[in-house]
Amino acid sequence: MRVPFTWLKEFVEIGVSPGEVADRLTMAGFEVEGVDSVEGEAIFDVSVTPNRPDCLSVLGIAREVAAITQMPLVVPPCRISGSLPDAGFSVDILDPDLCNRYAGRVISGVTVGTSPEWMKKRLEQCGIRSINNVVDVTNYVLLEMGHPLHAFDADRLAGKKVRVGTPATVRGRNEPIAVRTLDGVERSVPPDALLIWDAEKPIAVAGVMGGQESEVTSGTRTVFLESAYFESSSIRRTSRGLGLISESSYRFERGTDIEFLERALDRAAGLIAELAGGTVHDIVDAYPVRYVSHRVVVRPERLNRILGTDLSRDEMADILRRLQIPAEGDGDEIVVLPPPNRRDLKQMWDIAEEVARIYGYEKISTTIPRSPLSSGRSGKGARIIQQIRESLRRAGFSAAINYSFMNSTSLDALGIPPTDRRRRTIAISNPLSQDEGLLRTTVVPALIANLRLNLDRGMREVRLFEVARVFIDAGKTLPDEEWRLGGIWYKEKAPSLWREDAEGFYLVKGAIEMLFEELNVRGYDFRPCSETFLHAGRSADVVVSGSCVGYIGVLAPRVVAGLEIKKHRPEIVLFEIDLDRFLPAVPDSMRFSPLPKFPSVERDIAVIVDEQIPSSRIREIIASFPTHLIETVTLFDCFRGGSIPPGKKSLAFNIVYRSMERTLTEGEVEDLHERLVEHVLELTSGEIRR
Amino acid sequence: MEDLPSLKESFLRESSSVRALHDIQALRVKYLGKRGIVTEKLKALPTVDPAQRPAYGRAVNEIKQYIEAEIARIEAHLREEEYRKSLLSEALDVTLPGKYTPPGREHPIQHVLSEITDIFSSMGFEVGEGPEVELDYYNFEALNIPKNHPARDMQDTFYISDDVVLRTHTSPVQIRVMEMRPPPLKVIAPGKVYRCDADVSHTPMFHQVEGFMVDTDIAFSDLKGVLELFIHTMFSERTPVRFRPSFFPFTEPSAEVDIGCIFCSGNGCRVCKQSGWLEILGAGMIHPKVFEYVGYDPETFSGFAFGMGVERLTMLKYGIDDIRLFFENDLRFLRQF
Ligand SMILES: [Zn+2]
Repeated sequence: MRVPFTWLKEFVEIGVSPGEVADRLTMAGFEVEGVDSVEGEAIFDVSVTPNRPDCLSVLGIAREVAAITQMPLVVPPCRISGSLPDAGFSVDILDPDLCNRYAGRVISGVTVGTSPEWMKKRLEQCGIRSINNVVDVTNYVLLEMGHPLHAFDADRLAGKKVRVGTPATVRGRNEPIAVRTLDGVERSVPPDALLIWDAEKPIAVAGVMGGQESEVTSGTRTVFLESAYFESSSIRRTSRGLGLISESSYRFERGTDIEFLERALDRAAGLIAELAGGTVHDIVDAYPVRYVSHRVVVRPERLNRILGTDLSRDEMADILRRLQIPAEGDGDEIVVLPPPNRRDLKQMWDIAEEVARIYGYEKISTTIPRSPLSSGRSGKGARIIQQIRESLRRAGFSAAINYSFMNSTSLDALGIPPTDRRRRTIAISNPLSQDEGLLRTTVVPALIANLRLNLDRGMREVRLFEVARVFIDAGKTLPDEEWRLGGIWYKEKAPSLWREDAEGFYLVKGAIEMLFEELNVRGYDFRPCSETFLHAGRSADVVVSGSCVGYIGVLAPRVVAGLEIKKHRPEIVLFEIDLDRFLPAVPDSMRFSPLPKFPSVERDIAVIVDEQIPSSRIREIIASFPTHLIETVTLFDCFRGGSIPPGKKSLAFNIVYRSMERTLTEGEVEDLHERLVEHVLELTSGEIRR
Repeated sequence: MEDLPSLKESFLRESSSVRALHDIQALRVKYLGKRGIVTEKLKALPTVDPAQRPAYGRAVNEIKQYIEAEIARIEAHLREEEYRKSLLSEALDVTLPGKYTPPGREHPIQHVLSEITDIFSSMGFEVGEGPEVELDYYNFEALNIPKNHPARDMQDTFYISDDVVLRTHTSPVQIRVMEMRPPPLKVIAPGKVYRCDADVSHTPMFHQVEGFMVDTDIAFSDLKGVLELFIHTMFSERTPVRFRPSFFPFTEPSAEVDIGCIFCSGNGCRVCKQSGWLEILGAGMIHPKVFEYVGYDPETFSGFAFGMGVERLTMLKYGIDDIRLFFENDLRFLRQF
């Protein structure tokens, strides 16, 4: 809100510079976001928090300045001299719950014209366009006193009647009604919205905007000036419903002063008579629901304990009175009577804030709370995720963070079938764009987008990972939120100083295996998988402790083709791990195994087998051989071509034999190894490579 | 005996031109071999005049020892040379770069999140969690933000349905934790939050860290103490901190916390909009209404809560000027951290 410094000075004597006032207002909770200098005059841009509608005016800010600087607040009286009878207008409030008070005055014989320069200037300083002297007065008083007013052309009000009620109440029908507002738009107003009516028809949307038909124009001779109290949430509902926010609705929905509205009415009526001529008639005032102040009893001792201060009862009461909040000390209590402009003061805590902010937050000491001992140690899940991040970084992957949004097209691009769990998406009802209409069920589309962006920007190598939640509609009120680890790998096949001849798949698999090793996860396995968007021959399910926790694989050429990546047959490797399934497989603690006391004996076995037999099969065969003497099995060679017939490959394993109880003899190892080789050859139909 | 000095001289002459191991071998044969010059002299000893024989014998032996030592020295020297040469023939260009996988980098947001979490952990705060898709009840109602309240304007909300939203702040974790457990509590809750807003300075998703502490007799001064300690650890011991009154529906009294501008030392610059201060935190004493929602007695317990935007802190810390960089995942950006 814009507040001209000179206007402020009409209500409170200020002996310090505008900059000083701005600082002190900021430190009292009214942040001055800027001080503009317009033609040498300082204009504050004050941010008023939603709980303080009483400060949405020059007078309201002046009240704060008076309290902070301990100077008196001066509100000039606005008496209407020699007012006439009430001009025969009647006011009838049909929905008193929504309108607690409605007052009006008629000003007859006005001449609508332009406003004087001083008024135009002030309105302009506050960002309001001058319209005519009558309308300008209502805006001027709104800015000055914070109470919204509305001026009707009284001659257009049928039956000299003003009624306040919803279409439902007035017409007894639960139907919307059409109202053409001042801005020329015909609006369909819902049946529960409060309207102002004359004897026949609606003439304004209460507290939001007047109707065009009863607008004050250059031809207006008689003005009906409205000053009312509308219930805040009703105004907010109507304003939101119509998509119409005005200076009036902004204040009404935050709360206005039901007592002070009469002063504002008089001030405006007086100004109209002064600027547009005419005579002010007596007030018409319907006030069915009186303001009742709900007293708040404060114990200074409790208040000091909450603030960590040591203020006396009288110091507290004095601060409140400086803010024009009636407060009386009574024994070890203070009785506060919140005034009608401070409906935000409901309990002791609200009073605590008033006392603290005027006393000064900066004067409150800083203490360290005495509190029970607690370790502050993070949970197992968080610690493991931290280790995962570190491990992947060591493997060369950088951490990405993507928005949680996606669209169904990106699932289509991956060929995710309609029955797949990842199709159970949650939709946002007001997304920023249709591209971001769903919550993601997989981190893959975002990682692919990251890859594309980096390739477009000339990167030759991309290694990214992301740990994030995905959201699966499980048919409950809230979706299942599951932690995912995803990664993407790409490296341009370009000459490099040191040769790296491993396939990308194995490099990424190595990163996953290193991660498992670091976390002491045993018993994992990679099995052929059936993800539609992965290369059928170059992808694997990641199986840990017997259950599938994710996948790793080369992005299928068909999917790559659809991505318009400007590279020739790029090899892109992806992986995704369901951390909620994986984390339980990470052991909590380790146990020491005694070191072997007896020497080991090593033997190699090289077999030529069908291409189709995976190396893991031979490993399984060796593992299932009935002996306890095999300590480790290491695959050290995988060879095709040369003397190996087409369709076959040679696999060579190193086997370490060891007993924990004794030294093995050459003879017994020889015999055991011979039987093992026979066993492998038999089960694989392979032959020994010499 | 007069021939001995010339013998030594000729040895010196010949040995000084030795360049290879086979030359030294030849020299050894020539002087010390079975028919070597020195050996011949010794063999001829009986023919020498008996009166001069002992002195002549000593002199020949001296020369023999001298030549032996000299040949051994030269040979050791040549072997050392040869060894060095063989190593140098295997020399690498040590200036070629080593081979390694360049390590990946942590995301700057994660860096700062971890740093914040570590500081509060060391003060005994534990980490709490809540869902990112949240009930309107937890995100608003129980935080004293009823429907049709102007305070809802402070946050642009993504809706899933009338009752389900993308959490607009991490504050609902307060409610969830307090519903589950009685005081005393010291919890921080880092996480993603969402606002229906996207422009140069706003992204629809960002990160917050919520923190709160509840016990008997927690005072506003404790809030000041804990946050000052945090800021002094996060920035520097000398960073000025100020608390100024503000409004949040779920705290009372509420405060906005500013630090002295780290770019201009408080003199005023573009970043701090000439104010000399940067707003980094919102905080306050937990509103008694919130306690009522979770069934705590506001007469017995009090507590404070605070919340901070991680992107803002990260931008300040690294001097990043565009919030959107955080979510583009451009490696040229990520690799700097
Ligand atoms: Zn600055």
